[in-house]
Amino acid sequence: MYIIKLDAIGSTNAYLKELTLTSIPQDYTVVVSEHQTNGRGQMGTKWETEAGKNLTVSVFKKISKLNIQEQFYISMCVSLAITETLRKFQIKQLRIKWPNDILSANKKICGILIENIIKNNYMVGSIIGIGLNINQKFFNDLSQASSLSLLTGIIYSKEEILSEILKQIQFYFDLLESGKKSFIKNKYENQLFRMNKPSTFKLNNDETLSGIIKGIDNVGKLIIWTEDEIFRTFDLKEIKLLY
Amino acid sequence: MDLKEIQNLIKFVAKSGASEVKLEMDDVKITIRTGSDSETTIVQQVPVQASAPVVQQQVPAPVPVAAPEAPAAPAASSDDSKYITIKSPIIGTFYRKPSPDKPVFVEVGTDIKEGDVLCVIEAMKLFNEIESEVTGKIVKVLVDDASPVEFDQPLFLVDPS
Repeated sequence: MYIIKLDAIGSTNAYLKELTLTSIPQDYTVVVSEHQTNGRGQMGTKWETEAGKNLTVSVFKKISKLNIQEQFYISMCVSLAITETLRKFQIKQLRIKWPNDILSANKKICGILIENIIKNNYMVGSIIGIGLNINQKFFNDLSQASSLSLLTGIIYSKEEILSEILKQIQFYFDLLESGKKSFIKNKYENQLFRMNKPSTFKLNNDETLSGIIKGIDNVGKLIIWTEDEIFRTFDLKEIKLLY
Repeated sequence: MDLKEIQNLIKFVAKSGASEVKLEMDDVKITIRTGSDSETTIVQQVPVQASAPVVQQQVPAPVPVAAPEAPAAPAASSDDSKYITIKSPIIGTFYRKPSPDKPVFVEVGTDIKEGDVLCVIEAMKLFNEIESEVTGKIVKVLVDDASPVEFDQPLFLVDPS
């Protein structure tokens, strides 16, 4: 494993992506920065972090056997690696909020952003960006955000957490590469936030929908058993869970 | 291929929900497109041999079309056949820019070469930069920025000449 440590960078994902332009990096090349000034979330959103307090890290993972249609397995592997890591640090009530926000006690503590590298319609690699709130105590305007330290009162070693995350990421990608897809999917669904519980959703036409999350399909769409007793699947842009 | 066979083919395509079917046999080439903005299915029958005289037939669809959700391209003009269609390899949201405050990757008239990034497709928070597999010029952008796309949906027309 090849780890690049930086004091400050715009975005660890962007840095790693620059590296891939010249040649495909070694598998599990890691870029970690004390401070990230231009972190990104979903298209057009930001990931803000207080300097030195949190983990902002990107990992390059070679992808060879995965069909482009199955890319959500990458997301599942990373989500599971994070929840497994946090469980080892005794963080309670861990859930994955679809598609890949990590919650503890209903608060978001970790975001994941994955950028795939595709050549001639084949996936060759993924840049996995992880923002984990560790020792930050104050969050402006983010009532649903929290950090490990806020939840437990403990100050954590970022290095220890990073090394466990990297170990877990390798573990789950080894599972994926050995074809254990249904195991990964089951494990992911078992940790889904509001799985099998009646919930309310807001649709992109502003209507609300009542239903029960029953899991995900093979491309990662959310499957909901609705009040009308039918199964419906939703893309990320089509639905928002109200909680 | 006789008219009856073509009619059956149209019915079959309409029922299947496919938005476009291309069929090429000995001396005929047929493209059937179904679309929500037109109630008809257009069939073009064009001889493949360049030397043959150009014959174009337009046959109204015998059945109402089961229109797919996706916005369909307007009925083909025979010109489009020389263009290469770049399609989405995955379902997701189509973005023409790397981020909202940046310029578009490509627009109509942009010269592109193999490996150039054309767009980003975001699928369940996984971002996929779609690179061109061909060299040429962008002739048409078929999808609006930030709109959903289906697997195999045409995104761009490229003139490879």
